[in-house]
Amino acid sequence: MKKSLLMLVMASLCAGAMACASDSAEPQTEATGVSTQVAATLVNPNATPEAVKVYDVLRQLYGRKAVSGTVAHVNWNTREAQNVHEWTGRWPAINVFDYMQMWASKEVNPDGWLDYRNIDDAIDWWANGGIVGCMWHWNVRANNGSDWTCTPGTEPGQTTFSPLKALESGTAEHTQLLKDIDQVAGYLQLLQRQGIPVLWRPLHEAAGNATEFEGGKAWFWWGADGAEAYVRLWRLLYDRLVSHHKLNNLIWVWNSQMNDPDWYPGDSYVDIVGRDNYYALQYPLAKEFRQLTAEYPTKLITLAECGNGDEVRMSKWSAIWREGSRWSWFMTWYDYDYNEGRKDAADHQFANPEWWQDAWASGVVVDRDEMKQLLNK
Amino acid sequence: MKQLTYIALLMLWAGLTATAAERTILLGPKTIGAGWKDNVVIMPEQFQSVAVGDIITVYNDRAKGNAQGAFQDPKDWSGIAEEYGYFGIAGPFRMTVTEEILPKLKARGVAIAGHDYRIVKVTHTPAADIVERIVWRGPSRQMKDDWSVYADVPAAAFRELRVGDGLRFHVSRVQQGAALKLCDFTYNALDASVGGAPVGGDAFTYYVTTPATVAQLTQLKNAEGISMRVSGKGYRLDKIGIVSQVGGVDEDESGAQRCPPEYVLAPGELFRGEKAFPMDWSGNQRFTAEPFQECTAADCLVIGNTLLPDRGGDKAQLSMREQRHWQEITGAEEPLWMDLDGTDLVYPLDNAVALDNIKTRGVVITGRGFVLNKVELIHVGE
Repeated sequence: MKKSLLMLVMASLCAGAMACASDSAEPQTEATGVSTQVAATLVNPNATPEAVKVYDVLRQLYGRKAVSGTVAHVNWNTREAQNVHEWTGRWPAINVFDYMQMWASKEVNPDGWLDYRNIDDAIDWWANGGIVGCMWHWNVRANNGSDWTCTPGTEPGQTTFSPLKALESGTAEHTQLLKDIDQVAGYLQLLQRQGIPVLWRPLHEAAGNATEFEGGKAWFWWGADGAEAYVRLWRLLYDRLVSHHKLNNLIWVWNSQMNDPDWYPGDSYVDIVGRDNYYALQYPLAKEFRQLTAEYPTKLITLAECGNGDEVRMSKWSAIWREGSRWSWFMTWYDYDYNEGRKDAADHQFANPEWWQDAWASGVVVDRDEMKQLLNK
Repeated sequence: MKQLTYIALLMLWAGLTATAAERTILLGPKTIGAGWKDNVVIMPEQFQSVAVGDIITVYNDRAKGNAQGAFQDPKDWSGIAEEYGYFGIAGPFRMTVTEEILPKLKARGVAIAGHDYRIVKVTHTPAADIVERIVWRGPSRQMKDDWSVYADVPAAAFRELRVGDGLRFHVSRVQQGAALKLCDFTYNALDASVGGAPVGGDAFTYYVTTPATVAQLTQLKNAEGISMRVSGKGYRLDKIGIVSQVGGVDEDESGAQRCPPEYVLAPGELFRGEKAFPMDWSGNQRFTAEPFQECTAADCLVIGNTLLPDRGGDKAQLSMREQRHWQEITGAEEPLWMDLDGTDLVYPLDNAVALDNIKTRGVVITGRGFVLNKVELIHVGE
């Protein structure tokens, strides 16, 4: 009895200490610099076993290795991943597709040039041990009535599509919003039926540079009405996909633009916090990693987009790692001109063969073969 | 009589030299590197004889696949006309002088900018040197915003096309954001420079620089004889002409402006050259954070400089700013002005805030009254 009581007291003390830790401004970090308070479960309690498995593997690797990734060439393919394979003989572990041309999918547009219902590439990728990611450059009609865009503004090629109006029942914008969400839900449902979990990163980079300097603004229409409207939009999207469409294969990734806590949808709606950086130098990256770790201690922190910038070449992954940042995964961007055969691989705009060779040689980057083993496939 | 002959010969020589000819106004090389941070300003003196209709040509090499060019107004670094703010590069690129552009050239010159290529030379060709033959007269096509309209041009229109000629697309009803796309008959862009080139004024000229393009336009055609399709948005295509240069080339380059010498940087050097920092505080030199990633508090910068001779009794001074808001790099509210005496200035990186700023965002050197000759990063132990 005494022993039981002592254990109970110990357990209470322990729980109290943990509660204090999670309330503290300073997160508990391992020697690796990552938070020890990362949530053990996904925010969706009904997440599919496959989604849970992918999340568990990411948690297991966190701080010890980074998972490699590439984005699709524009929309729905594995072209950039193929580039890396051609250059180095190894596949990145994550391929991120983009629903940016949903309006040109053949089932909604007879003149369309792609078919988002064809998920063969995603099935192959998952079957070979790769993780599937999806992002959504959510294009709406431009002000000129003919183009499609996600850039807010009053120019003919931009859009005045307003998140606030779209959140209001009965508006044409609201109808359009739900129609688009339902369309993307249909595609995601196809993946769920095949047992494919998705690193789902919609509504990205919402704050743009609005929080960076005076006069800064949102880059996409979903940020055009400010933080509050954006958070409501994120939650609507979450509820529509998870509660209404029963999509349980999604791991929700939210993008921080740094210093934008007002734009965070909340712990109950986000599994992973990402950062996009095209000034990807080792020192500022490490600072940003530490800041995001402190701000979101219960979330994995990831470098959701990266690559060379206009003026700087991205640091080698070995240097980024040595500097101390421990991003859960990274994803390099595509080079349109390279993929169109207009330049040499060495001139790849975002990450060339030399960069990838260093990443593999660093010994801390997971490729698709290793991921296949980790996923027990 | 002898004197009369001499005068007649002199008049004849003067007449000959007055004949229109392509004249070099800037001699390179000048590397226009990545990131839109390089440019060269051609001074107004070079444009005093320029007239409306004349052509300014930028000959270049080492252009990367994604290279872009620009003709900018040095007043505010915007495009000297809307269509010259940025455009793709495939071979030499050109600007036609318009009534809008001419006064700017004469008052302020023009900045040649962009990224990822090297200027070899820039020339001025008088309009009198250019002849045009109209080879396609429509019917006019209004290019819609969805890029869906094509004007089909038969290969026969290009039978007199030669390398060096230009295809001039006469346009009207040009809207803001208008763009032009030139395709082969299979709807693929002829090259990266015309995959959606900005259009302004009343014409867009595409110069044919390779025999392959001539062959493509004259021989590769479909069953209807179509070899080129013109598309785009926000303008109406009225007619197409072939423009050819009929004048000679003035070999005398003595009057041309020279680009400053280009140096190959030695290890550790971040800058070498002659960059003037005039007394009006307009001079600055930016450095990204990239070369500073491995810096420690024991490192330093060595800044080589030469004093400008005419400073009106004022001191030559320099300060270091962070790149984001141009605040003093140490975080101090007021800039720290360091006096220069023409000897190397050693700037230690032992201030924690300065070191953090320089590794995070890079640094800007600003000041007045000197020429910047060298910036070198010295690591401890080297």
